[in-house]
Amino acid sequence: MEIIKVKNLEKTYQDNGVPVNAIRGINLDISKGEFLVIAGPSGSGKTTLLNMIGALDKPTKGNIYFEGEDITKKSKSELSHLRLHKLGFIFQAYNLIPVLTALENIEFSMMLLKIPEKEREEKALKLMDELGIKDLAHKRPNEMSGGQQQRVAVARAIVNNPAIVLADEPTANLDSKTAGHLLDLMQKMNEEKNITFIFSSHDKQVMNRAKRLLILKDGMIENGSSKQ
Amino acid sequence: MLFKLAWRNIWRNKRKSLIVLGSVVVGMIAVIFYDGLDNGMLRQMLDNQISSSVSHIQIHKKGFNNNKVIKNYIPDNQQVHNVVKNEKDIKAYSERVITFGLLSSATNSSGVYIYGIYPDMEVKVSNIKSSIVEGKFFTGGKRDIVIGKQLADKLGVGTGDKVVVMANTPNGNIGSDLFRVAGIFQTVSTDFDKTTIYIPIKTAQEMLDIDSHIYEYAIVLNDYHNVDKVKAELESKLNNKYEVLSYKDLLPMLIYQMDLYDQTMWIFYMIVGLALIFGIVNTMLMSVFERINEIGVLMAIGMKNSKIFLMFIFEAFMLGLIGTIVGLALGLLIHWPISISGINFSIFSDALKSFGIGAVIYPYLSVSNTIILTVIIPFIAVIGALYPAYRAIKLEPIKAIYYV
Repeated sequence: MEIIKVKNLEKTYQDNGVPVNAIRGINLDISKGEFLVIAGPSGSGKTTLLNMIGALDKPTKGNIYFEGEDITKKSKSELSHLRLHKLGFIFQAYNLIPVLTALENIEFSMMLLKIPEKEREEKALKLMDELGIKDLAHKRPNEMSGGQQQRVAVARAIVNNPAIVLADEPTANLDSKTAGHLLDLMQKMNEEKNITFIFSSHDKQVMNRAKRLLILKDGMIENGSSKQ
Repeated sequence: MLFKLAWRNIWRNKRKSLIVLGSVVVGMIAVIFYDGLDNGMLRQMLDNQISSSVSHIQIHKKGFNNNKVIKNYIPDNQQVHNVVKNEKDIKAYSERVITFGLLSSATNSSGVYIYGIYPDMEVKVSNIKSSIVEGKFFTGGKRDIVIGKQLADKLGVGTGDKVVVMANTPNGNIGSDLFRVAGIFQTVSTDFDKTTIYIPIKTAQEMLDIDSHIYEYAIVLNDYHNVDKVKAELESKLNNKYEVLSYKDLLPMLIYQMDLYDQTMWIFYMIVGLALIFGIVNTMLMSVFERINEIGVLMAIGMKNSKIFLMFIFEAFMLGLIGTIVGLALGLLIHWPISISGINFSIFSDALKSFGIGAVIYPYLSVSNTIILTVIIPFIAVIGALYPAYRAIKLEPIKAIYYV
């Protein structure tokens, strides 16, 4: 079942007054439960594509359908609602809220969903236990390693059972062993909870784990392959 | 959690927050100090006037206050006496004979207000007895006179010396009598001390040939806040031959000055408030710029703009609230001892005396103004956060996340 449909997508932005075509006419279907990696060299447009699918950026032309609805036509507030209820994000630089503990970071999006305090704490702790980071519950980001922070970021991204988790270069700042553990974790969530994962990465390790690999070059899909 | 987030954000950059808090605290202390001093000075001016001669309410024959001629005595003293005696809000009153005259010593003379009084009644409505610096407030003698220090100096007399009082009588003659200085008083008003003398009321009535007529009832109330109510009651009980005047009617310039001070205080508050707003705008803008990535992530997570806006507003509100509470506590800690001991402005003593204020000023805090300030300052901080919070929600999530 298609969860995302990208139609004739184009993105042009201005770089010092010079128009740059970051995405040039991409068409793409993503099904529920995919573990998709968008790869390609720097400047190929993979992060731009990921951000548009994640409703963080708007295309210059074309449409993106999320569960059949065109998200390019939605208002800021509707997009915010979509991101809160349906999407999870993992960033290269972890981007946890520095003044909150790991537990509070994970609870934060549940708080935005107005889930009662007790329930969200239970849910967050259960997930932390599942991900093996329960002992980090009361630590703040500056007291954790990069790998630990990224695990907390994964927990934050999946705690609300989003339809899709978008991960932008999630292993770029991690050593290969830690990156491997993290990918194991995400694969497990993908298999057990049927959460769709979309990565942008040029990390070989990430690409090797992909169920589907999409290679971008100069804003266009150069090659797409699937493996079962 | 929004409060928790805002609270922790305040303390992530302690130095910056402490600078803002410091400005709110200093602003609050300055306002409390200035307000206290200003109010204290005005209250003292008013209290000094009330306790030296004006009292809370005066009753005269209609027109006497504007034309203090000897013929304007109270037409029916018994009627006024009965009304005053039966008014439960009146604490004390003094019957007075008042006229203009000339006081002469062997070497000099001076125009004066002559107050004919019953000493035992007068001490209940004025502080003249406690202002005696030499001699006594009457010794019981028929020819006792009590005069101000400045006047005594001008006439070159001291206690026990003889002086002559002269004044017009109602039939156009000059009444005069010889007195012996029983006491010399010194109030905080040089004008009052230069121009006022007290003599026994019976002697005054004889000298002025006015039988047992009196000119003024000086009344002190149990609670001066009731002055308008009591004035209205007295007016309703007395007919239109009389004028009932409160200290507000008798001291219009002072009341006007107090109102004016009150208005200028609000200008001072506004200046302090504006300074605070600019301080908060600056700090909160810095806070927004320091946290652009974080704001982007919050947006990506799905936090609505309204909540991001509120987060910055809470931060400013908390800064304002903490600053106000600390400022209020420190302000009161400074105010409390000096409101008891007073602040000695003796180097400005002469200038203050010409305004009817003593050399020591006792700051007095207006409770209502303090409450208003305590409530307003956190909201002033909120006003200061509106623009930075607006800037925060105007960020594009994608630009904010990848902002370097």
